[in-house]
Amino acid sequence: MPRLVGDFEVRELALVGVYFIAILGLDVLTGFSGQVSLGHGAFMAIGGYTTAILTVDHGVRDLWTIPLAGVIAGIAGLLVGLPALRLSGLYLALVTFGIAVSFPQLLKKFQGFTGGTTGKILNLLKAPFGLHTTPNRWLYYLTWGIALVLLATAWLLTRGRIGRALRAIRDSEIAAASSGVSLAAYKTLAFGISAFYAGVAGSLLALATAYVNPDTFPILLSVYLVVGLVVGGLGSQIWLVAGAAFVYYLQNHADAVARGANGALPFLHLSPTRPGVPSVIFGVVLIGVMLLLPSGAGGLVRRALGLLTRRE
Amino acid sequence: MRNRFQLAVSVLAAAVLAGTAGAARTSTPGVTSTSIHLGSSVPLTGEAASAGNVARGADAYFKYVNDRGGVFGRKIKFTYLDDGYQPDRAVTNTIRLIQQEQVFAMFNTLGTNNNLAIRKLLNQSQVPQLFVAAGATTFGRDYRQYPWTIGYIPAYSEEGKIYGRFIARSIKRPKIGVLYQDDDYGRDLLGGLRSGLGGKAGSIVAKVGYDPTTTDVQSQVAQLKASGANVFCIFAFGKFSLQAFNAVSRLGWHPQIFVNDVSAASSLMSIVPQKAANGSISIVFGKDPAAPQWSHDKGVRLFQRILERYGDSIGSRDLKDGFYVAGMGAAYTMVDTLKKAGKNLTRQRVLDAAIHLNEKGNPFLVPGIVVRTTPSFRYPVAQVKLQRWNHGAWRLFGKLLSAKPG
Amino acid sequence: MILVAFTWSELAQQVVTGLRNGGIYASLALALVLIYRSTRVINFAQGELATFTTFVAWSLMNHGLGFWAAFPLVLAIAFLGGAAIERVVIRPVENASALTIVIVTLGLALLLNGLMNVIWGGGEKQFRGPFSTRTIQLGGVAISIQDIGVVAVSVAIVVLLGLFFRFTKLGLALRAAALNPASSRLVGVRVGWMLALGWGLAAVLGAVAGMMIAPIVFLDPNMMQTVLLYAFVAAALGGLDSPVGAVVGGLALGLLITLLGRYVGFVGETLKLPAALLVILLLLLVRPAGLFGRLAVRRV
Repeated sequence: MPRLVGDFEVRELALVGVYFIAILGLDVLTGFSGQVSLGHGAFMAIGGYTTAILTVDHGVRDLWTIPLAGVIAGIAGLLVGLPALRLSGLYLALVTFGIAVSFPQLLKKFQGFTGGTTGKILNLLKAPFGLHTTPNRWLYYLTWGIALVLLATAWLLTRGRIGRALRAIRDSEIAAASSGVSLAAYKTLAFGISAFYAGVAGSLLALATAYVNPDTFPILLSVYLVVGLVVGGLGSQIWLVAGAAFVYYLQNHADAVARGANGALPFLHLSPTRPGVPSVIFGVVLIGVMLLLPSGAGGLVRRALGLLTRRE
Repeated sequence: MRNRFQLAVSVLAAAVLAGTAGAARTSTPGVTSTSIHLGSSVPLTGEAASAGNVARGADAYFKYVNDRGGVFGRKIKFTYLDDGYQPDRAVTNTIRLIQQEQVFAMFNTLGTNNNLAIRKLLNQSQVPQLFVAAGATTFGRDYRQYPWTIGYIPAYSEEGKIYGRFIARSIKRPKIGVLYQDDDYGRDLLGGLRSGLGGKAGSIVAKVGYDPTTTDVQSQVAQLKASGANVFCIFAFGKFSLQAFNAVSRLGWHPQIFVNDVSAASSLMSIVPQKAANGSISIVFGKDPAAPQWSHDKGVRLFQRILERYGDSIGSRDLKDGFYVAGMGAAYTMVDTLKKAGKNLTRQRVLDAAIHLNEKGNPFLVPGIVVRTTPSFRYPVAQVKLQRWNHGAWRLFGKLLSAKPG
Repeated sequence: MILVAFTWSELAQQVVTGLRNGGIYASLALALVLIYRSTRVINFAQGELATFTTFVAWSLMNHGLGFWAAFPLVLAIAFLGGAAIERVVIRPVENASALTIVIVTLGLALLLNGLMNVIWGGGEKQFRGPFSTRTIQLGGVAISIQDIGVVAVSVAIVVLLGLFFRFTKLGLALRAAALNPASSRLVGVRVGWMLALGWGLAAVLGAVAGMMIAPIVFLDPNMMQTVLLYAFVAAALGGLDSPVGAVVGGLALGLLITLLGRYVGFVGETLKLPAALLVILLLLLVRPAGLFGRLAVRRV
């Protein structure tokens, strides 16, 4: 794949992979166990900062920090999952939103540890010895390699007992509880797993941008993760790639979209350099996608496949 | 048959080569025989959006220069991307500019944290980070570690020092209250203030840092008023500086106010309660187009002509906005540097030119300021003047002061 | 940090400031509660909508209208705008999952924010509000008419809303449509119009909030962003459902946060927002329906 596109474009594909990993994890929580979290950016931050602190302050090899970042974020997820048991739907969304908002503040407060608003500057990612490839290509292989492994893991998890239990909980907590499923254990586990994924994604993001500070993981990131999830389709796992690509490209190429829109509708004067136009485009496209594809890309695919199989 | 085929191929190849020769690529990215591509990352949206006008001002100036033949026949193309004042977006923009757009150098990127975020990657990629629009001392000081980086505007710590020295010299029995943004920007100003006060550093009776997520700063100002201070230093950014003036007015407090340069734009000062604003002191190094004392000034007239003719049709194109002038001042120095670097333009040469500046007569800076750099002194603008706000305008007073760190 | 000595007059001043800030949160929280009560939607775009309508007011005033001349116009525009948004954007997805609706409101927020930047630019603007900026000095404490006005208006709105919901047919219909759309239709309530009405009214409340806040914090596209966060907390404290709760929650929150930030060194400036959220978290753990809300009983 990388042979076909330019080096910078390879980097972009790698970043799509990062989003994919985080969204995949969020899907386990929201798509499978039905708990809405608007705060997963905070878990990405935990992962990202773990990597940053370990590589910058303690000289740990960057690759080893990735699983560690995931584990630490995962533990944080379990800790959040416990009080989350007491909160229902909307309140959970609000509280997790609150976590997304508060976390940057905590990072600023404990600045001796985190570098505060200045943040931490990492070394540029380099391929390990023996591999003759550019940093961007290495990032691509690393990210997608991990993504595929995690995708397979998520797929297996949700096929098995855990998946069935989670789906039972999502569809009807009362029914699930009365048939012996331990709500608390599985709901908390879902939080932990999703946080682990987010932590890994955060770690990769830190390595990719070679910089972390409280603004690297803003509130909007948590929102984008949920957007990516819904656009990809709750529970559709592999189609979440579409969601990740959507979120990445719309954010970073809003100016290209604006240029396209300007070409189509010149009377609106949608110059891409005009501040605010990218946000407008993002908002309009987001609303449009939700109106047209409420169950996301995955839902669309499922419907299409359903139609095809029915014909036979 | 084969010969004719070979001939056709050769002709075709020659045509293609001839076509591309029109804009022959040199081995330096971002430089062709007809163009120089500069990049920047500035806030065009978000709370710091007004500061983004520095890029628009610079862009207008470059277009003006291009119309006059450019630099050694090369026209300057300036691509500036929006980062909303967020460092991670600045990183993304920078990587995009150097990897995809292949710019020659980064110019006048704005924001202390943003520039810190991209400094290492630019230096590791050996791309010049020129005339950084941020006042943290590190951009001029740490050149041994980051040789490709050079600042531009006076360091915030030096600005604080100037206020400190002024207070120590001119105010009897000062009791100083400081409102500062709790990050490098605010803390540098505070540190400089203390240092400038010297033996009188004890006259700082209260200091309150605020976080940019706060809704309003009245609570903080109330705390400072309660300390009995008679001098109030506003080391706050944009909106918060405005709120501070509002709070001073509402709380019925009448201290001598010092407001930091970044928040001292006339457009901001004119919308706060004037009773509170009158008598405020700030530093200045660029010509404020809204100040009556420059209304007949050739440099300001030039600025207005350039902005009217070449300014981006987007944006308010406010002829009284000092941020545009600041951008033009930096752009003037950039063009100066490109000229010094010579026809054979490489990244190393432009860096060498940037660290050997001796520019007099920049039409957009306060008269008398000399933009001077040496390989070990990388603070291009290191002189300022004090100004006082009264009756709706800034007026300069006093001599040219040194803002040299060290 | 050099600690300023404690004085009673400063404490009183901080209390006044805290209540004023609380009034700001309460006014936006009221809009959130109204929308939730009438449509069961958490509207993440409420803040941006409020700011947008305030910009409209600013434009009108910039073209020569006085505040009181512009005021009814702005309210009308807000009402129509809110109702229109409901019909065009929310109606198509009202039966989709709650998550989808949340995303739509987030998209709306982005859209409005971008639009404000496009139309009015990102710089700060001065907004002359209805209240005079004169301050009264009461024993060393400065209370501005504006401060009193913000709190008074919020309280007045609560009273008006209470009367509306309880004593008017329209209010009753609105509540019915939200609680039980199916049954409401059976008794003749035009559910669709009720939802649009709810959004329209909420937009009006948001506009009022914006026009009161802008003179204090200055008008720019991001004016309501942190306010919205505090408003969510205030609304949730009140159970998302109760206007009285929103105002009590807002005032209490404003007071608590201001005093915590001033007197508890550890919280200081940085942790004010997390402190607010911790408060709501603890409260929800103890009383999952908020202080004033009613917990829905799930029938099995």
